[in-house]
Amino acid sequence: MASQRKRSKGESLTLRYLILGGWALFCLAPVLWFLSIGLRPRIEIITPQPIYIPSFSLDAWHMIWDDWPMAAYLRNSVAAIIGSVIIDLVLAIPAAYSLARFRYRGRDDIGFYILSTRMMAPAIVAVPIFFLFRNLGLLDTIWALMLIYAAINLSFVTWIIRSYMLDIPKELEDAAKTDGAGEIRILWEIIIPAVLPGIITASVIAMIFAINEFLFTLLIASTPDAYTMSVALSNFTGGSDGVIYNAIALVAFLAFVPVFLVVVAIQKHLSRGLTMGAVKG
Amino acid sequence: MARIELTEIQKSWGPIIGVRDVNIEIADEEFVVFLGPSGCGKTTTMRMIAGLEDPSEGRIVMDGEVMNDIDARDRDVAMVFQGYALYPNMTIYENIRFPLRMRGVPRDQHEGKVRRAAELVELTDYLDRKPGALSGGQRQRAALARAIVRQPQVFLMDEPLSNLDAKLRQAMRVQIKHIQRELKITTVYVTHDQIEAMTLADRIVIMDKGAIQQIGTPDQIYNDPANTFVAGFIGSPPMNLVEGALEGGTFRAPGIEVGNLPTRHSGAVTLGVRPEDCTVAGMSSHLSGTVYGVEPTGDITYLTLKAGEKLVEVKADRDYRAPLNKPETVAFDPSRIHLFDTATGQRLS
Ligand SMILES: Nc1ncnc2c1ncn2[C@@H]1O[C@H](COP(=O)(O)OP(=O)(O)OP(=O)(O)O)[C@@H](O)[C@H]1O
Ligand SMILES: [Mg+2]
Repeated sequence: MASQRKRSKGESLTLRYLILGGWALFCLAPVLWFLSIGLRPRIEIITPQPIYIPSFSLDAWHMIWDDWPMAAYLRNSVAAIIGSVIIDLVLAIPAAYSLARFRYRGRDDIGFYILSTRMMAPAIVAVPIFFLFRNLGLLDTIWALMLIYAAINLSFVTWIIRSYMLDIPKELEDAAKTDGAGEIRILWEIIIPAVLPGIITASVIAMIFAINEFLFTLLIASTPDAYTMSVALSNFTGGSDGVIYNAIALVAFLAFVPVFLVVVAIQKHLSRGLTMGAVKG
Repeated sequence: MARIELTEIQKSWGPIIGVRDVNIEIADEEFVVFLGPSGCGKTTTMRMIAGLEDPSEGRIVMDGEVMNDIDARDRDVAMVFQGYALYPNMTIYENIRFPLRMRGVPRDQHEGKVRRAAELVELTDYLDRKPGALSGGQRQRAALARAIVRQPQVFLMDEPLSNLDAKLRQAMRVQIKHIQRELKITTVYVTHDQIEAMTLADRIVIMDKGAIQQIGTPDQIYNDPANTFVAGFIGSPPMNLVEGALEGGTFRAPGIEVGNLPTRHSGAVTLGVRPEDCTVAGMSSHLSGTVYGVEPTGDITYLTLKAGEKLVEVKADRDYRAPLNKPETVAFDPSRIHLFDTATGQRLS
């Protein structure tokens, strides 16, 4: 009886792994296919019959690094993204603290207003933003990208951090007060360390959004001075060479790898952050 | 090192009244214990003294200075919170040291003070751990250490021993009293536990439903309860309270007759007598009933008698045994009989 139950449990476990493994393979297939496209010669891509076992070639690899300023694109991406996340955190942490802790008239309306910036279709504000940055003289600079990415992400970065702050018992701050700490000290020494997982989660999600941002980047960037990885992809579609699929695939894959690694590293926090942002409010 | 006066204190949140009509003067170096059932306003009163909650009405004065508008951090008060409130990201060492850093205690004194506080609460082996890696009792002791590490004007302790086992609780009780006496720090202490209240307090404040019921020394509270709430709340098992009628100096209730009482009062009266002030099978008995239950505990036997519909508890001899429903008589110690007005619950003097 007991051994039977054990075996049936073992079987269901095997079955479970089979199903999950199958699903993982299904999800991973396009990524691997992409990688294989990036690493085969261009001729093999544009055949009418698919070639399942391609020959290996670093053509695309050499092309993106030697013929295109990919290093500069990469640098622009990294600078704009990190800059935007820093701006977000500097603004979002005090804002979230205020929204989580203090009661004032219109507090909940502010909360909704902040979130509503995410609900708007970005194309609506594209043109005004273009003129805004032209007048500021910031067109085609990574500073403009930083500001735009920061603006896009600020709302939910604030929201996620706020939801973590709501979880901090009020007694903790009361204890710090009676111990003699002022507001800034409390924020810096008690609150921020306690919500660090939330801050990390929000930052990573903000980075992912920023890496994938395309519309505004295309609007602002017109030369390699401000081109980022995402916009660089579009460079391989025009021009006299036609669509260079293997280079596109390789660049896309390269942009995907760091995001993937970061997500795996913070997986535990990420799921919590996303659900908390969703149910709390 | 501070005198505290609460005058006409009231605290309400909209229609909810947490605390009302609180008037109390706490002397310098006094140890005052707030005792009362859950939700009676103990924590709220304490938080107002700490400056974490503004009273809706009334004045809080410390050493002659009105404190109502003074921030918590500027009142020299150390508090142990009911929920520990340890800083989760800091080690126990850093937790205990935090108030020293915030209050500008010279750095070279930190180590020594933290170690001494940790020793007092027997926590020296856990200084490197984070609060998350401690048991409830250990966390509570860490919170206690954080409060006693500096020498504030006032200690506020909100059920600081509630999560300790009996042995440790007893030991910590002695420690707390010793520390308080040694440092001569005015202390307000909240508890559910009567034994804790009786053993620690210079004076006990009994609260119920947001209002003070009685303020007095443990002896006063025990021997002269101001009303039926206090009478029934203090003592374990609690005082027997029997409703009946007082007529010409004689109290009567089913199965109970007590004479030679003051003739000043008459009408609906509640008679109170503690189980230990009853003697089984006295010749001049006041109560005659039947045995309802017998509970030997080792050093004493609790006997429950049924008189009319009322159950009355009596402390009997340790060897006392009796079958159920056996008729039994009991005499009360006449000097320890309490009378209360049944309508108001107030003591009749
Ligand atoms: N922020 C608040 N808003 C509304 N009501 C509150 C608030 N804080 C406390 N109360 C109410 O005030 C009353 C007193 O609460 P308090 O925490 O002082 O009780 P307590 O005596 O400490 O109880 P316990 O022994 O359970 O800790 C309770 O009825 C509680 O519901
Ligand atoms: Mg309480």
